[in-house]
Parts: sequence; C-alpha cells; structure tokens
Amino acid sequence: MFENVPILSLLILFPLVGALVTFMSGKSPKAAKYLALAFAAIPLAISILILTEFSLDGGFQFVEKYQWISFLGISFHLGIDGISITMVFLSTLLVFLAILFSWDVEERVNQYMGLMLVLEVGILGVFTSLDYFVFYIFWEVVLIPMYFLIAIWGGVNRAYASIKFFIYTHVASLAMLLGIFALYFTTAPLLQAENLIPADAIGSFDMLLIASVAPGLGELLQIAIFAALFFGFIVKMPMVPFHTWLPDAHVQAPTAGSVLLAGLLLKMGSYGIIRICLPTLPDAAVDFQIIMAVIGVVSILYGALACLAQTDIKKMVAYSSISHMGLVMLGIATLSQLGIAAAVFQMFAHGLITAVLFMVCGMFQHKAGTREIPLLGGLAPKLPILSTVMMMGFMASLGLPGMVGFLAEFMIFTSTYDVWGVWVLVPIATVALTAAYYLWAMQRTIFGETTTKIDTTHLHDAYWFEIIPLAVLLGLIVLFGVWPAAVVDLITPSVPLVWPLNGVI
Amino acid sequence: MIPIEYFLALSGILFVIGVIGVLSKRNAIVVLMSIEIMLNAANINFVAFSAYYGNLNGAVFALVSIAIAAAEVAIGLAIIMNLYKTRDTISLDEINLLRW
Amino acid sequence: MAFAEYAWLIPIFPLIAFVVIGFLGNRLFKKWEGGAPVAIGMTAISLILSLVVAFEALTTGDGTPFVQSIEWLVVQSGDFAFTFNMGIYIDNLTALMLIVVSFVATLVVIYSLGYMHEEGEKKRRYYAIISLFISVMLGLVLASNFLQMFIFWELVGLCSYLLIGFWNTRPSAASAAKKAFLVTRIGDIMFMIGLFVLFVGFQGNLDFEYIFANVDAFIGGNDLLTFGTLMIFGGAVGKSAQFPLHDWLPDAMEGPTTVSALIHAATMVKAGVYLVARSYPVMVDTPTTLLVVACIGGFTALFAATMALNNTNIKRVLAYSTISQLGYMFLALGAGGYIYTQTLEPNVGYTAGMFHLMNHAFFKALLFLSAGAVIHAVHTEDMRLMGGLSKKLKITSLVMLIGCISIAGIPPFSGFWSKDLILEAVFEGISVSPVFAVLYAFGLATAFLTAFYMFRLWFMTFSGEPRDQHTYEHAHESPAVMWVPLALLAALAFGSGFAFLFGFEASIVPHGVFEFDHVASAGDLLVAMFTNVLTYASIIVALAGIGLAYLMYKKKSIDPARFTSGTVGKTISNVLLARYGFTKAYDWIGLKVVYGVAKVADFIDRRIIDGIINAISAGLIRAGGFLRRAQTGLVQAYAVVVVAGGSLIVILLFLVGGI
Repeated sequence: MFENVPILSLLILFPLVGALVTFMSGKSPKAAKYLALAFAAIPLAISILILTEFSLDGGFQFVEKYQWISFLGISFHLGIDGISITMVFLSTLLVFLAILFSWDVEERVNQYMGLMLVLEVGILGVFTSLDYFVFYIFWEVVLIPMYFLIAIWGGVNRAYASIKFFIYTHVASLAMLLGIFALYFTTAPLLQAENLIPADAIGSFDMLLIASVAPGLGELLQIAIFAALFFGFIVKMPMVPFHTWLPDAHVQAPTAGSVLLAGLLLKMGSYGIIRICLPTLPDAAVDFQIIMAVIGVVSILYGALACLAQTDIKKMVAYSSISHMGLVMLGIATLSQLGIAAAVFQMFAHGLITAVLFMVCGMFQHKAGTREIPLLGGLAPKLPILSTVMMMGFMASLGLPGMVGFLAEFMIFTSTYDVWGVWVLVPIATVALTAAYYLWAMQRTIFGETTTKIDTTHLHDAYWFEIIPLAVLLGLIVLFGVWPAAVVDLITPSVPLVWPLNGVI
Repeated sequence: MIPIEYFLALSGILFVIGVIGVLSKRNAIVVLMSIEIMLNAANINFVAFSAYYGNLNGAVFALVSIAIAAAEVAIGLAIIMNLYKTRDTISLDEINLLRW
Repeated sequence: MAFAEYAWLIPIFPLIAFVVIGFLGNRLFKKWEGGAPVAIGMTAISLILSLVVAFEALTTGDGTPFVQSIEWLVVQSGDFAFTFNMGIYIDNLTALMLIVVSFVATLVVIYSLGYMHEEGEKKRRYYAIISLFISVMLGLVLASNFLQMFIFWELVGLCSYLLIGFWNTRPSAASAAKKAFLVTRIGDIMFMIGLFVLFVGFQGNLDFEYIFANVDAFIGGNDLLTFGTLMIFGGAVGKSAQFPLHDWLPDAMEGPTTVSALIHAATMVKAGVYLVARSYPVMVDTPTTLLVVACIGGFTALFAATMALNNTNIKRVLAYSTISQLGYMFLALGAGGYIYTQTLEPNVGYTAGMFHLMNHAFFKALLFLSAGAVIHAVHTEDMRLMGGLSKKLKITSLVMLIGCISIAGIPPFSGFWSKDLILEAVFEGISVSPVFAVLYAFGLATAFLTAFYMFRLWFMTFSGEPRDQHTYEHAHESPAVMWVPLALLAALAFGSGFAFLFGFEASIVPHGVFEFDHVASAGDLLVAMFTNVLTYASIIVALAGIGLAYLMYKKKSIDPARFTSGTVGKTISNVLLARYGFTKAYDWIGLKVVYGVAKVADFIDRRIIDGIINAISAGLIRAGGFLRRAQTGLVQAYAVVVVAGGSLIVILLFLVGGI
C-alpha cells in the first residue's frame, strides 16, 4: 500500500507543518486547539495505518533513504522495526491525548500547542531515524520545546527546573555526540575495507552500516564508545545517580508536558541503548552487563524508596518513573532476548500508565489546587471519577495482572532470575515497595475523612476533555493487559536483530 | 617606479597612527576618524599591490572598501549623534553600556 | 465431558455483571438496589453451571483432568519460544472448589440484598466489585496453569482490597485495606519467585498438565525445586493469612460482614490451601516443603486460636478462628503429603484438608453471616454490648448455634468429620517423625480452644440478660432475604460432613500421586471412626471446651475476670489483645524501617546528589562572576586587548619562525 509513499517522512512532516500553522494561527485559542488536535490526529492515523500494514518479520520496514550531505556520508535514512513501531504508536497516541487534555490552557495557546507538535516531530524522528546524524538532530530538537513548555507554562520554580533539565540532558547529549563521532571515525576504515563506502569517503553516519562493522572494533575502543553513548542515554532515562533533573522538571512542568516527558522522552534513552548500544557494540555490552544491572537495580529500589518519602503526588509519580525505567534497564541488562523484549514491552506499558498518572496529578492540581498529600484526604466521595481513575492508574502501575504493566514486569523478573538466579530477590522487593507507596498515597488522598485543609465545597469532577484521554488510555491499558500478544508479537521478531545472542532459556 | 616597500611602510605608519588614535583618544569622533585612517592604510596596501602585480582586483577591492567605509561612517556618526542626544557626551570613558 | 467444555463460561457471567453494574446503567441502578438483581442472576447462572460441571466431573471421569486452553501469549524470538496459556483445568478438586465458591457466593449476594440495603449509592460499587470478585475467584479455581492462577490470585487480592476499604471514608478501613494488600503482596512476591523457579526449571512451561506429568524433567536439582515449592507455599501463607503473615486478616474485618464471610472466610483465603493442594504432585517430590507446610499450619492453628480467647469483637473472634481453621487445613495437607513421601502409603491427609475446606466454607460463612445479622440488628460489633439476643433473634441464634457446634466438632455436625480426619492423619505421622506428636498436641489443643471461644461468643451474644438495654430494644430479626441463606447454610453446616460417608474420600484424592486401593463403605468408615480412641479424644476436648465456656459465660460459676486479675493473667491477656505484638511489629517495619530508609533516600537525593549538582552549578556561576569583571564596557579597553592579542600573534609567528 505504501510502496511509493514516503510514509515515515510524512509522519514526521505533518506535525512539523502543523506546528507552523498552529504558531501562525494567532491569538484565537480555539483555532489553535483545533488545528493542533487535527495535526496530531494525522500522525496518529498514519501510525495506525502503518500498524495495519506492518509485517511481523522483524526487519526494518518502510525504509526511506535520501542522500543528504553525501561527502560526509550523511543520509536521511528512516525505517522502523517492531521495537520502533511500538514507540511510534505510543508517541502519536500520547501527543494527541496530551493536546486534548490541555484543552483548558489559556495562556499563549498557539505557542503551547505548536511546541507540543514540534516535540512530536523530534520524538518521531528519534524513533524512526537510522542515521546517527539525523538521530542526533532530532534528539536535540526534542529538548527545545520541552524547555519552553516548562519555562513558560511551568510552576513557581520553573526557571530552575527548566534550565536544570536543559543543561543536564544537553551535557549528556554532548557525551553521546562524542561517542557518535568516535564511531564515525573509527568505523570508516573498516567500512572502506569492506567496500561499503567509497574509498575516498570520510565515513558514514548510517546506523546499519556502522552496526555491521563496529563489532570488529577493538574491545577497549568499544568500551570507551559504549561508555560515552551509555552516559548520554542513562541521563535521559534517567538512572540513579543522574536522575535529579527529572523530579524537578516534572514538578514544574505543565501536565501535558509531564505526560510527554515521562511517557516519551524517557523512552528515548532506553530506546537508544537498545537500538544503538546493543547491536553496535555487543562486546562492550557484555562487559557493561553488571554495571547496567547494578544501575538498574539501584534505580528500581532507590526510586521506589524515594517515592515513599514524597509529599507531592506528582513528585512521587516522577520518582516512580525512575523506578520503572530501572526495570527497563534491568531487562536490558539481562542481555537475553526475553529480557530485551520485556524491556521494550515495559517501555510501552510505562508510557501508557505514566500518562494516566500524570494526568491524575494534573487534575489534583486543577481541582483541589494542591498536590500536597498532607493537605488532601477523603476526596473519593467528592471526586468519584478522578478517584476511580487514580486507583486504576495506580493499580496498573504497581503491576496488577489484567493490566499492561504486569506481564512486562513479570517477564523482566523472569529473565533476571534466568540470568542471575535468586539475586532476583533484590529487585523484586520493589513489587512490595511500589504497592506500599501507591496504596499509602491513595489512603492519604482519596480515602479517609474528608480534608478540612482545603476548600472542598466547590470541587468539580473531571471534564469531558479529561475523561476522554483517560478513558482511552485506561482502555488500552486493560486491553493490552488482557491481550498482551498484540504488543509482544510486534516486538519479539525484532529482538534477535538487535541482540542475536541469547540467555539461558 | 616607487618600490613596494615604501607603500608598505606608509601604510604601516598610518595603521599604527590609527591604532594609537583608537586606543588613546576619548572623543568618539576622533576614534572614528582614526578607524578611517586604519581603513585607508589597508586601502593603500590594496592599491599598491594592485599596481605591483598589474592586477585590478586590488584596486576594485579598495573602491569597495571606500564605499563601505562611507556607509560605516554614516552609521557611526548616527550612533554618536544618538549617544550625544541621550547622554550628553561623546566621551568614550563615560560610555560603558556593555559593562557586566 | 459435555458440560465441562463450557466451564469457561462460569467466570464470564459474573464478569458480565461487573461490567454491566460497574460501567453501564448508572442511573438505572440507583433505583434498582444498585444492580443487585443483575449480580444475583449472573451468580446464580454460574452456580447452576458450576454444579452441572462439578457433578459431571465427580461422577463421570476416572480422575483424569479435563483440560482446555488457548494460547494467550506466545513469546517467540530467535531460538527460544514458549507459550503462556489460558485455560481451564477441571478435576475433582476443581469441582469441589467450584461448588463451594459459587454456592457460598450466591448465598452471600442474596444475603447482601438485605444487609447492604441501607448503603444508598454505594451499593452499585459494592455489587460491581463483588461480582468481579466472584468472577476472578472462579477463574482462579479453574486456572490451568500457574501463571493464570497467579493472575487471578492477584485480582482476588485487588477485590479484597477494594471491599475491605468499602467504607473508604473510615480511616481504619482504608488502613486495613492497605495492610491486607501489602501483607499478601509479600506472599505474592514469594509466589512469583516460585513461578520463576518453575518457569525456568520446566523450560517455559507452567501448565499444570505438563508439570504434573513431568516433575522429573525439572532442571536444577531437587534443592532448587524445594526452594521453588517453598516459595509457592509462601504465596499461600500470605493469602491464607498463616503465621507470620497473618495479621492482616483480623484488620480486614473493617469491610462489610458479607465481604468477610465470602472473601475472608469462605473463598479467597482458601486460595492458599487450594494452591498447595493443586501443587501436590510437585510438592510430593519435595518433602521438606510439606513438612514446613504442616508445621506452619499446625502452629498457626493454635497460635490464632489463642488470640480469639479474649477478644470481644464478634467479627475479630471469627477472623482468628478462620486463621486457625486454615492452619488446620495446611496441617492436614502437609502432614498427609509428608507421611506419603516417607511411607509411600496413601493416607487421608489430603482428603481431610480439602474436606475441612469445604465444611469450613459452609459453617464459617454461616457464622459470619449470622454475626452480620446480629450486627445488622444491634449496630455494634462489640460483644460486651450484646447479650440475651436469642429472644429477639430466634432464627439467627439457632443457626449460629448450629455453626458453633459444627466448628467445635461435635458429631454428627460437619466440622466433626473433617477435624477428626485431620487429627487422625496427623496422628498417623507420629510413627514417621516425632514432630507430628507436637503437631497432634497442637491440633488437639486447638480443638479445645475452638470449642471454648466459639461458645463464649455464642453465650456472650445470645444468652443471659441484655447488657445494653438500648441496643437490645432496637434489635430486630432480619428480613427473609437474610435468614433464608442462613438457613440453607445451616443445613449444610450440619450435613455437609456426611459427604464423607458417601464417597468423598475416594473422589478427592491427589490424582497422579496416589489413590486408595479400595473404597470403604459408609458403614465401615463409621465403624472405623467410632472404634478409634482418637475420635473420642477429640470429642472430649471439644465438649470440655464447650463446658468451660458454659460455666464461665452462661452459668457464671467461674468468673472470667479471675483469669485476667493476676499479673501473669493480665500480661497474657494483654499480649493476646495486642496480637503478640505483631501489629506493632508490622507498623514498626513499615513506619520505622522502610519509611526511615525512604527518608534517608530522600535526604540523599535532596542534599547529596542534588547538592553536588547545585554545587557544580554554583561553582561555575562564581567562576563566571569572577571572569566577567574583565568586561569593563569601555570600547577602548577591548580594543587594547584586540591589538595586544594581534601583536602577540605576530610576535609569536616571528619567534617561532613561521615568517
């Protein structure tokens, strides 16, 4: 169906056009909202179309390659496999829902909506590009709109948070850029030797070309490059101890910004590890296995413990993201196909679930005027819809079966046991800790006696534009929980291509 | 024919005069004039080498540079005029808007 | 197996009720008792189907389970492939559980019509969740592999959480719900680890059918398998509230009494017992696990019974009793299995445990629902405010008496048969290991205590003079929707024990492990039972317990205060009321240890990690502040630098010799 249509370019182009149009739509908030929604709906529709045409053979599909700066070996190379398609679908879905959820933004609406679409451009670019240069450009494109979303529409302490976010992740990007250049220059002779690029070319930025020869690099070199790239990615994920930008950014960011930050931006880090580090530098990955596992486990437990101590619901949810991304890291660290497939599934699951959680936090802010747990309490009778949604979201996040998070978690722990035996006892403690902080938070916010610390007489339950995104997300959470094959079948065929070796099972 | 070294020496002297003027004078107009001297020192070089190599490129460049210098002076004077209007002085010591 | 093919429909009907009540018909059910008719109807359909399926399974098959499953998730990637199935696994054990669960569930939902009548708009939530519970509980019973079982296992836990916290504006209810979820989650973690062990050991296959037929194919050795089964039993410990994860169950009484009856007495807490019974074919390869099961069960039976002795909350007494009786079941399963592994002779342990499970479901549901009727009538759970209620609540007092006699173990009531069978099975073990002598003593002591505290409860509630005139005057007998289910349950509490005489022993055995060579006739069984000294021992201790309760609380010839007046008595009494300090210990672990560590983590985050980062940024800012003093703003100063720099370059070029 799409043989002659550059479908991935269109996928990226539409939000870009949409962003421009929305920016220029002027002062009418209504026009900006509808335009943004429409232009977010198009990529969503395209990604669903792609899903219907997607074949389950694991390789890259819908590949597009245009020479761009040929003497440097840069080409505009796009393509998706089972790992990217889940992320692409998640991205288009979350951006659409986030735009709908921000229907009540009143300040500088056209810019707000435009930035969301620019963000979508960057994210989709990261998840589809197969050229390091293009990848890096899109990677950086993501930073800018998110910076402005926090800096302009953020909370009281937004300047600190946005600058911290920007500098932190930018430093990480630089490390990553160094790694990319190192790859570029060190693989050039190998590529020439294999006649993959002309003898007079400087090198190639093509991911697939580099991946085909980079395993032949010396081990020390591999480790050095891996370290640079890995640092760039774990800051984005973020892993302890490079995580402190995240809670601050979340606490200050507007709700939709948080949804996209946690739902998509964090996934870029783990996606990078899976897409770049593993297939390109497999020997270094084996050397880094223990480090990855330790970082993952520390993030899991530390994030969960930090959650317990928070008094701001949103900050708690932010830390829970660290904990859950730690699970992704652990899954990757098993270096088994089951673990990696589970990690991707967990990324998808976390994207859906965390979106719900941040929307819930945003609603608390809107309805009750505060997110401080000690000020809330007993809101379930006053805000039944919000409370129900919150409970469902929390339950999904703590890995309740029947919802999408369970199986991902289960598979990650299974492969952890498979690789490290009873060491699984350490990370699995998070199952109890996660339940503890979520249930405790619920007990103190929606259950118990109705609070007297805030005015509870004029609480308004969810509006339609809040209910629809939440209903869609919760519906998908349950759907993919009951029918996980829908996602897992997409992911698994592609896993051997990024990691051909296998664990014990 | 006058040896090229003479021209170079002249332009060097003029350039140094200009530099000293720029660095030492307080009056913005004098500084502007010093800059003009430096420009013209460069122009002399252009023309001299043009004649030396029998190639018109240098002369053309000098003309371009004169034209640009004229525009620059216009803008420079306009800035100085505005400065005078707003701050009642054109002494460079008292103008430190670029300060931290 | 004509009907078994449709067994997958059994959990579907209550699920439909959940969806309909929970998500549709918001307005409709405001009038319509919150959707109770839908819940009742769907549960009843499930009941009928369950009975048919169970009848078929018990009467036709030769013990081979009926298995039907679909592929739920195939993980296939490169060289490995495995399949998670979803399916149904029906054997006699499943049939027994189906009957128990769907029967009690139906009665409880009907009873709720009366009990929950005054709850207003909350009723819809109640019926929705209880329908969901019934659905997932039936799903758990029917599960065909360990993963599926675990999935439903967690879901029943969710329903339990939601229903304990049903009156969510009560802080104590919210807290109890959280506690129940968290404590059982500790067990669930162990269950999960057990699953990993089995999953990897059996190379990605968790189907009961495969595992039970290929226990020898386990990779990793017997020690690992023992660890795995122990972990699975850990899950059962959490769910069935066994020592040391028992303390959530008394708190769970914060939920409506119907919930306590259905979830925390008759069905969900039995899931742990069911799990152990289900895993029997694996566990008989790991005797250590079975011994642990027996010891934990026996200890818990006695341990929980002691806490029921002086409690004055009617529901809490029943809760401790539930823990204690569940301990009995584990004791029977563990003892029977362990003895089998040592002697390779079939024995009645397994049968006794499951038999007690069934009987207990009936009489404990009866007791809870009767207690509910009492609470409904007097609006308090404190037994010290009751008394003399038998005049007002004639039916309730009668059915509750039947329940008490049954649980105390007086023939021919149902509790007698199964309890006696359990003690007999344990006694048999003494020849295998001296541990069982202790366990037998525990069991006998528990029998005495059980009889005592149950009759204490009955006497305090129904006999004597009213202690609180106000509550007494307002008490009234429950409506028919409440007492009819009670009567039905009472009939079963009296009669379900007779199943023993009609082939129960032969049908409920662990197929694939062992079978009884010949099935004794009813007469032989009776003769065997009543010619055994042990039978009389258990009857005598039960009568002694009842007698003591009679003397203390009816005839008042022994003053209960005598036991608590001395220092020792007072200490013991306080320890019992404080639940041996377990509540405090849980709180301490939660609030002091875990929350303390969390505080430390938070401190590290704010002060150390962020401190370093902020220090770096502050350092950079300070360096910048220092350097920016070079920016004087004077054009000529800049020009000097430019000229100096240019000159420097020229001079350097001269010196280095470039020019």
